[in-house]
Amino acid sequence: MSEPLNPDQPPTRARPSGAGSGELEASRRTIEPIPPGAVPVMEADHISKGFGATTALVDVSLKAYSGRILALLGDNGAGKSTLIKILSGVFPPDGGTLRFNGQDVVLRNPAEARERGIATVFQDLAVCELLSVTRNIVLGREPQKGFGPFKFLDLKKADAMARSALHQLGVRWERGLDEKGINISGGERQSLAIARAMFFGSSLLILDEPTSALAVRQAGKVLDHILTARDQGQAVILITHNFRHALSVADDITVLAQGRVAGHFRRDETDLDALTDLVARVG
Amino acid sequence: MTNEPASGVARTVPSRRIVYGEALRRFMLRPESTAIAAVLILFVVFTILSPALFPTKLTYISIMAIASELGILSIGVTLLMIGGHFDLSVGAVLGLTSYVCVVLMRDFGLSPVIAAPVAVAVGALLGGLNGYVVVRFRIHSFVVTLGTMLIWRGVLIALTGGFPMTVDIPAVFKNVMSGPLIFGFRMSMVWFFAITLLATILLTRSRLGNWIQARGQNENAARNLGVPVDRVTIILFMLTSALAAVAGIIQVARFSSVDALRGEGMELQAVAVTVIGGTLLSGGYGSVVGTMLGAITFGMIQVGLVLAGAPGHFFRTLTGVIVVGAVILNTDVARRMARSKPLGGFKRSSAAADAAIQAETAAGKGEAG
Repeated sequence: MSEPLNPDQPPTRARPSGAGSGELEASRRTIEPIPPGAVPVMEADHISKGFGATTALVDVSLKAYSGRILALLGDNGAGKSTLIKILSGVFPPDGGTLRFNGQDVVLRNPAEARERGIATVFQDLAVCELLSVTRNIVLGREPQKGFGPFKFLDLKKADAMARSALHQLGVRWERGLDEKGINISGGERQSLAIARAMFFGSSLLILDEPTSALAVRQAGKVLDHILTARDQGQAVILITHNFRHALSVADDITVLAQGRVAGHFRRDETDLDALTDLVARVG
Repeated sequence: MTNEPASGVARTVPSRRIVYGEALRRFMLRPESTAIAAVLILFVVFTILSPALFPTKLTYISIMAIASELGILSIGVTLLMIGGHFDLSVGAVLGLTSYVCVVLMRDFGLSPVIAAPVAVAVGALLGGLNGYVVVRFRIHSFVVTLGTMLIWRGVLIALTGGFPMTVDIPAVFKNVMSGPLIFGFRMSMVWFFAITLLATILLTRSRLGNWIQARGQNENAARNLGVPVDRVTIILFMLTSALAAVAGIIQVARFSSVDALRGEGMELQAVAVTVIGGTLLSGGYGSVVGTMLGAITFGMIQVGLVLAGAPGHFFRTLTGVIVVGAVILNTDVARRMARSKPLGGFKRSSAAADAAIQAETAAGKGEAG
């Protein structure tokens, strides 16, 4: 099966993107080790969480560094969603510490996490379907003009913001910015959400299954945009159950199984077979 | 569609047929299109039915008097429905705030300049209560406002004892609110148009308007992006009830009275007007101008049927038919049109747009840096 080559390469840099074939090549052949003394943007230190009688997370630790993608792998029920909800402030952990840029933090609610630059892109929450691309991108942070009670949307500025947000991520928006959300494909929605988060100053991107509902070619595009985000210094936590996608873009891989960390690897230390084995064994 | 240009040929001059076709397509995409069609068709039909009586100034004045009071009420309901909520209590709130206004003038001897704003404030308070209950207890607004509708109506009946109350209102106030000053048209029409304009600006050109639309379309997405969804909801309910109070004050000025059944049934009329105006029942999308036209449609049916000599109950039947027809047009057709492609020569995509993106970004970075 041969798909046409993706013509929409982002302008930032050329990288192998064999998304069409389904065999994504690794984005970087060798992974640089984490420099000694580097402070993780987000560190989860021995986090545990239970809901009543069920234990969701036990003693889970992970570190997300600027300019690196950490893939969080695991089967359904492994505790991935509980972990990202803790990281994005939806609820607090029962035990353990979160550190943001080296400092202990307590995230009391999602708004607080967002203010610190933690942007979580949920798979199904990205877009308002009857708002334009521009209005979707600036939603919640609309530029205004005027004074006092007479403040109006600055639609020109909003368009400019939307354009630069999309351009920054290398998203080539072929249609008008007045296109409604309903006409935006799943992959484009993910990219739009990532662009929006970065434009408004995120430093940690948490992406919840960004490629799971996408066709192969679209998934390739979204992964490309995730790489661009990484190259621009974002710390990325990529939640996925697609091992191929994880292996193609991640720098580090953490495998969760039954609420515990089952393994942690640099991408070049492992491969598809090893990961599959691991999850089959412990999952 | 026969001469759809090959891709890349952007400079072919589109034929007149395509230009008109595209103009029609875009018009059909607007939420107001159904209401405009309804107004035009009803005008023609009623003119044919009673050519001597319908197309006269007196008729237009009557239509606008009905449309203005119902329209002001409906504009609040429209904004609320776009935000994804219902308010069945607006009729009762209209009645109760009218009562407050009358009592303040009659029993407390207050000037209407004070009594009217107090009545509007009471309306906002009652709306705020609706909003608070909806937000705090996560109950569907339909149920909450069904409850408050019954409560406020009951309170009003108890307070009035079921009898009409009359009041002397200074002529100046009567005239400013509802007097026939505009070439015979009532002042309420001016208020109606002004509120339509303000609400349109609010909805399409303000941050709150964007939040209202987002709340109605995807509450979780809006919340996730930092939109204060609960605050938006409460403000919407306050606004809706405050506008109900304004409509109530106009009626008080017109009738110099209030009675226990004032505003009864208007809550459902407002929903009908809003839906005819192209606002989606499911929320997220709609138009205040559409609601204005919907209210005029309503007035035309009411007056037109009387002039045509139709029995009174025809009014409900015809309104019902138009509501159902409007909903079919607004949801089904609009959805198909929204997914349709622009006709030849009007491609939404363009290399020019891409270039503009590049240029804008360069400029933006220059400014920022």
